[in-house]
Amino acid sequence: MQVTLDKLSKSFGPVQVLHDLSMVVEEGEFLVLLGPSGCGKTTALRMIAGLEEVTSGRVHIGDRDVTDILPKYRDAAMVFQSYALYPHKTVAENIGYPLKLRKVPPPARDKTVREVAAQVQLEDYLTRYPRELSGGQRQRVALARAIIRRPAVFLMDEPLSNLDAKLRVHMRSELKHMQNTLGTTTIYVTHDQVEAMTLAHRVAILNHGRLMQFDRPKTIYRDPANLFVASFIGSPPMNMVDGTLTSGAFTGPGFAHSLGKDLSIGPAVIGFRPEDCSVVAAGNGLIPAEIYSNELIGDHTLVTCELHDGSAAPHTVTVKMDKDFEAEMGTEIGIAIDPAHLYFFDQGTGDRIRV
Amino acid sequence: MTAATPNQPKGLYAKLFEPKRLGIMAPGTSVLVYAGLLFWTIVVLFPLYWLLVTSFKLPIDVNEGPRYLPFVDYEPSLHAWDYLLVEVGGDTFRPYVNSVIIAAISTVLAVLAGSMAAYALARITYKPRFASILSFVVGIVAMIVLTVVAGVPWWLSLIVGLAIFALLARTVARRFSARLGNGDILFWMISQRILPPVIVAVPVYVMFQRIGLLDTHVAMIITYATVNLPIVVWLMHDFFLSIPRDLDESAEMDGATKFQIFFDIVLPLAKPGIAATSLLVLVLAWNEYLLALFLSSVDAQTMPLLVAAQNATRGPQWWSMSVLILLMIIPVVLIALALQRFIAKGLLVGAVKG
Repeated sequence: MQVTLDKLSKSFGPVQVLHDLSMVVEEGEFLVLLGPSGCGKTTALRMIAGLEEVTSGRVHIGDRDVTDILPKYRDAAMVFQSYALYPHKTVAENIGYPLKLRKVPPPARDKTVREVAAQVQLEDYLTRYPRELSGGQRQRVALARAIIRRPAVFLMDEPLSNLDAKLRVHMRSELKHMQNTLGTTTIYVTHDQVEAMTLAHRVAILNHGRLMQFDRPKTIYRDPANLFVASFIGSPPMNMVDGTLTSGAFTGPGFAHSLGKDLSIGPAVIGFRPEDCSVVAAGNGLIPAEIYSNELIGDHTLVTCELHDGSAAPHTVTVKMDKDFEAEMGTEIGIAIDPAHLYFFDQGTGDRIRV
Repeated sequence: MTAATPNQPKGLYAKLFEPKRLGIMAPGTSVLVYAGLLFWTIVVLFPLYWLLVTSFKLPIDVNEGPRYLPFVDYEPSLHAWDYLLVEVGGDTFRPYVNSVIIAAISTVLAVLAGSMAAYALARITYKPRFASILSFVVGIVAMIVLTVVAGVPWWLSLIVGLAIFALLARTVARRFSARLGNGDILFWMISQRILPPVIVAVPVYVMFQRIGLLDTHVAMIITYATVNLPIVVWLMHDFFLSIPRDLDESAEMDGATKFQIFFDIVLPLAKPGIAATSLLVLVLAWNEYLLALFLSSVDAQTMPLLVAAQNATRGPQWWSMSVLILLMIIPVVLIALALQRFIAKGLLVGAVKG
């Protein structure tokens, strides 16, 4: 079902943690709320769940305004970061608990529990207790408990963050597959940009309680709306160099770039992704720099280059090069950048300057 | 390495008090430790032994004592057991049943109500206005003055008192912002147990006398449940805090009501706490003497009073006391053994994380 947030705000005492969050999550969509810790993403999710009171604004699930409705009447199931399994109940009792509360008779309940357990490969563990399961299995129990009700909305609060790296990648693909099969609207909170990019149909990026950008992962990566999104998404992150933008030209440490458009902004930032630039011989390229270090990652080499901006602490940018790239540290080089992949931001507001 | 590692010393002290290898105790240490343990075991168990042997003594064996070993020092006799259990059996049996009924029911009530209160204090943030509480006190004072000084019927002054409270709380009290928190409420509750109980003994006596409940089970149960309530709240509050709030919220999302969350999820997980608290409260009620002395005489008399009564008319009847005390100890030991398996940690394993 569609989930609509209308100017949702939340304050804890004098501290406002969420500012006028408005968005429409389409039916069957996998939406990821992404942001650094403390950005208000979990608060937003808990307000949709009904676990947190709404300070102002409305929450709609489908056609219903659920802002002031108890969680159990919202038809939303939640998977907690801690899984929150009931330790004194077996796996079957854990999964079947929502049905027991809805007074589904035991035979029908058992049948459904077994079906759902099969869906998450837990058939052999139904009589076990949570303490006898591995982390990944506990995660599956939590998922099974959420899907058994066939809710209108899944709410997931960093469900993969307690798993080890390998299992996380595996569960990520299972989660995506399951969501696609069930076709249930899902709102998923994470601080992990890789999870966000891989899982989401659309990503909503939050910072300090404000919506920074709400779009498809590809768009967010290729067309960031502001400095925060540009630097938050991407690993290694986008390179940022301070300078000034006057009379249609950006001037940075030791270089100038003409925009071909008469713009005067003042203090500005030029950004470019590591994969959109390359190391070239000194005197060529856009930005003069010297090699600070280079690291062979496997299929590519990350070259860290120091800019000549006269500051005490080295100001570096990262260039992604071929795995065969080799260079002595300290070599003077130039950095060539594809002009189509240059981004400009207003230093004061952080807004993107479109050229 | 800058400093040399010391060699294994060879002195007497080292020989006695340094273990030869990891994981074992040095000989001197173990002698001291086991001597201490043995000493304390005797301190704890000897009174029980003394009770047991005394219960089989004739008055002469006590008065010309001390005699320690039955069959050696003296000829054991069942006279005290026979007297208390057969001759005046009814007078022993009645207080015994009274004690069981009063202790059991008051414990169940105190633990049930107390753990609910503790759960609320562990999960909900209360912010009562200090001025509202003062308004309530003003209302009570007004009610007392009206009834006692002005001679107004009590039900009328009750209404007036409540009206004054409501009026003040909704008008004047709103102007003051000072609020209390959960910690204050908790402390207020436990502070009820800081005062010596004798302070409330007389008012409680007069109250039950007025409503005609003196020397009844009901009065004893209500009193014991009330005085033990703060202890239950205090102890259970900590147990509930240790249960992750995620479990409550998860159950709430699953569709449980507050009562279902409490009885289905939280209470089973608090079993160790419930067991320990119940045992403590049960023992307190079982052994209570002072309030029983005020509130009961014949029909609701409990075992501690009966034990004390053995010291009354004919001088201390040590043999009878021993029999009664042994009878009092048995159920407590049995219950402690039964509850022991619950008073173990580890119930929460598997609730959260991987």
